[in-house]
Amino acid sequence: MQVLLSWLQDFVELPEYPEEIAETLTMAGMAVDAVHQQDGETVFELDITANRSDALNHFGIARELSAIYRRPMKTPAVEVSESDEPASSRASIEIADADLCARYSGRVLLDVAVKPSPDWMRKRLELCGVRSINNIADLTNYVLLELGHPTHAFDLDLLAESKIIVRLARDGEQLQTLDGLDRKLSSEHLVIADASRPVALAGVMGGAKTEISEATRNVLLEAAWFQPSLIRRTARHFGMHTEASHRFERGADVGATVWAADRIAHLFGQVGFGTLLRGVIDTYPGAAERGNIHLRAARIGRLLGAEVPDEEVLKILEALGFVAEPADGGWKVTPPSHRLDVDREIDLIEEVARIHGYHKFPMTLPPAFGGTEEPPYAREEAEVRSALRSLGYDETISYSFISEEDASRFGSWEPVAIRNPVSEPWSVMRNTAVPSMLKALERNLNRSEPDVRLMEIGRLYRAGGDPYREPPVLAMGATGMVRRASLGDAGAPFDFFALKSDILTLLSGFDIQEVSFDAREIPAFYAAGNSARLLLNGQAAGTLGELDLKLAEARKIRQPVYLAEIFLDPLWQAGLKSLKYQKLPNVPAVHRDLSLFVPEGVSFAEIRATVGQQDDLRGLEPIEIFRSKQVPEGCYSLLLRAIWQKDSESMTDEEVNRYAGHIVASLSKAFGIQQRG
Amino acid sequence: MSFEEKTSHSLDELLAEGGSAEDLYSELRASFDLDKNNASSDEELKQLRDRWLGRKNGLLSAANDNWLKAASRGRKPQVGRLQNEAKRYIESALANAKNQLASAQKTHQHIDITLPGPPREIGARHPVRLVNEEIWSIFRGLGYSIAEGPEIETFYNNFEALNFSEDHPAVDEMDTIFIEDRTVLRTHTSPNQIRIMKDRQPPLRYLVPGKVYRHDTPDSTHTPMFHQIEGFAVDENITFTDLKGTLDYFSKQFFGPDTKTRFRPSFFPFTEPSAEVDVSCPFCSGDGCRTCKDTGFIEVLGCGMIDPEVFRHVGYDPERYSGFAFGFGIDRFAMLKYHIDDIQLLFQGDVRFLRQFR
Repeated sequence: MQVLLSWLQDFVELPEYPEEIAETLTMAGMAVDAVHQQDGETVFELDITANRSDALNHFGIARELSAIYRRPMKTPAVEVSESDEPASSRASIEIADADLCARYSGRVLLDVAVKPSPDWMRKRLELCGVRSINNIADLTNYVLLELGHPTHAFDLDLLAESKIIVRLARDGEQLQTLDGLDRKLSSEHLVIADASRPVALAGVMGGAKTEISEATRNVLLEAAWFQPSLIRRTARHFGMHTEASHRFERGADVGATVWAADRIAHLFGQVGFGTLLRGVIDTYPGAAERGNIHLRAARIGRLLGAEVPDEEVLKILEALGFVAEPADGGWKVTPPSHRLDVDREIDLIEEVARIHGYHKFPMTLPPAFGGTEEPPYAREEAEVRSALRSLGYDETISYSFISEEDASRFGSWEPVAIRNPVSEPWSVMRNTAVPSMLKALERNLNRSEPDVRLMEIGRLYRAGGDPYREPPVLAMGATGMVRRASLGDAGAPFDFFALKSDILTLLSGFDIQEVSFDAREIPAFYAAGNSARLLLNGQAAGTLGELDLKLAEARKIRQPVYLAEIFLDPLWQAGLKSLKYQKLPNVPAVHRDLSLFVPEGVSFAEIRATVGQQDDLRGLEPIEIFRSKQVPEGCYSLLLRAIWQKDSESMTDEEVNRYAGHIVASLSKAFGIQQRG
Repeated sequence: MSFEEKTSHSLDELLAEGGSAEDLYSELRASFDLDKNNASSDEELKQLRDRWLGRKNGLLSAANDNWLKAASRGRKPQVGRLQNEAKRYIESALANAKNQLASAQKTHQHIDITLPGPPREIGARHPVRLVNEEIWSIFRGLGYSIAEGPEIETFYNNFEALNFSEDHPAVDEMDTIFIEDRTVLRTHTSPNQIRIMKDRQPPLRYLVPGKVYRHDTPDSTHTPMFHQIEGFAVDENITFTDLKGTLDYFSKQFFGPDTKTRFRPSFFPFTEPSAEVDVSCPFCSGDGCRTCKDTGFIEVLGCGMIDPEVFRHVGYDPERYSGFAFGFGIDRFAMLKYHIDDIQLLFQGDVRFLRQFR
């Protein structure tokens, strides 16, 4: 909102420097965003908070300044010269619902000459960002900017039977508003009607049919009070936001209608282009009674932490227009009608603190108390983060919204839809973190960063919780080299096993008995044969693998891309591994390499499971796999290293031979695996 | 007579000229040591070994033949012991010398220590994460617990319980993203005040970090998703001066000990009195620069005393309890701290950006 220094000075004497005034206003809660000079005038840009409808005008800002500087206010002049004919003889006003319109004050102007406004008025309007239209419309706008009360001027001769009826619209009624649009009305909308039809959308915008034009001779001036929430709903319904609706929906001053009408009449008389009829047609069924507020002196110090002297409290309240009488350890305070935001003791305490100055209150720290808590899985989450960080994954964060298409291609449940998405590609809450991870990888590839490892810890969203479920998830994405080439090292590309290995390393910190992988129920976006399902203690907990080649091709990704999505709830439930020392062995481990011909199709997991938990067996590792002509048809060659260790005694050759023999025998029996001769 | 000559004489002859067998063997070891010190290559070490331990012409063999074997019967046990000790001494000294030579030779092969080692990469911590953790640790020190809450929130918790009425323009200002009529993506982390207070009794000190959402088209200073931390304290005697002191302490910890804070009156439906907090610009120390638009101050957070209406919604007696609440944008703090000029960088996964935080 633009406020002119010269206009403020009409009402209160101010210090010389505009910057000082700006600082003062800001520190009292009327934020001045900028001060600039324009056409020889000082213009303040103010940002008024939603609770202060009384400050959306020059008089209101001046009132604040008068309270802060403790300088008297000058009220704007309202001297009207009226004709003998009473206004009520030429127009009538009727309010159908007093809850929705508490007051409607009208004045009648006859024989007006519609023409441009005087220069001084046009200048003030324009500096405040309001376009000058004609003298009548400008008067209403001028008083709006000056006193904050929205008013409206009707062409009286176009009002059927010269009647104003404030009523709810009837379903099916129509109104063309001043912006030229036809509005379809319903019984939810308050209108100003004449004897036959709606002529204005109450508190929002006037109608085109009764607009002031060059042909207008006689004018009915409206200054009314409408219920804030109704105005807000109506404006919102029609997607309208006007100077009038902005103020009415924040709460106008029901006590100011006559004053505003009179001020217009005064200015009308000053520039003199017609006849003002006698009196205001003030239809005032009555506003809700506002009681007084008990302000306890002790409560001020108790809440603010420092005393404000009683005299200071009184001075502040009175300067702001409150009436305070001593009562019961404090005061009985009656707020002025323009302060709709003040109706509780706390509201008064805020006024006192604000005008007294927040900077005058000292700084203290509350006394220490009790211990602290962390979120339930903070340690587990930190473990996942630090493991992946050590493995070279950069942490990323992506938006929680994805497109419907991605949700159905990558996700496994019906996504939560957004009613008013920011944009089309963000129409649902993500049911998978894969598409955003994939986009991040793509982004890097498109920027010539071929070697990428990323991870994200976030949430997914689905129906069925309080109010929805938000399961935590880990997404991993990798492409390029897992180890870049360096001196004496050709490097190594990231592959399925690198991903699997990283996941196992990550899981090694958790108390999980059994980690396994299978190839079941793998989503179609993974490359078949190069992807897996992760199971923790037999329960599915995630998927991992290479992106399907066709999908990669469609996205112009020319190098293998690996993705994993792991649900974190199973990890949180398992918890961190409880650490316990085990006695160190006195003797070294022994190993034996077994060269085996394994029929194609027998997996390593099957071999491992068949060997099982042999006595003293500490490890069973594949050392080499190859296929060649020397290997029997339908088999591959596996060099398997078995490692044994006893706690306190060395193993004899016979024992090792016996153990190795058991392994070969069990594999031979189960799969027909042959030991190489 | 040189030591070498002595080995060709018999022990009895030599002792007749005075001295003892011990003296003779001491001389042997000293003579060997002298020899050994002159050996500085593999070749010389080999020659040393031959000269002393050679089977035919070695000096020790000569001593064995001429001293030990020819010794009188009475002296034999003593000389035998001395001969054995001398042999062990020489053998171990030779072995040591060989090792020393080997390791000395190793350091002689210079490597180019300016060459890089194999690359090993550590992952980057996300700047939002870094700032979060820094803030948590400051407030942990003040006795705050950390909690989380849902991102899809009820309209009631997000607005009504926080004293926003459905028809109040403040709801519009929040640019809410709706899931259903009465369900929204939380526009702030403040609904966690409601969740925690409904669940627990004072005294409370909580910090609640998380993602929040607004209906904003992304640009360099706005994204439809960003991060906030809500903090609040409720007890029997919490005051506005406590709020000021707490946030001033925090600002000095986070932005530096010389930071000044400025509390400006503001409006939030769920606090009263309310304030916006500015800190003296960390870039120009308040002199004025681009970041602070020459004002010397940067707005960093909103706060206030918890409104009695909020206490009524959670069933606390506002006469007995008071409290304060504050909320700030983590992304903005990260941008200020690391001089990031575009908030969108935080959500793109661009490793050129992320790796700056390794």
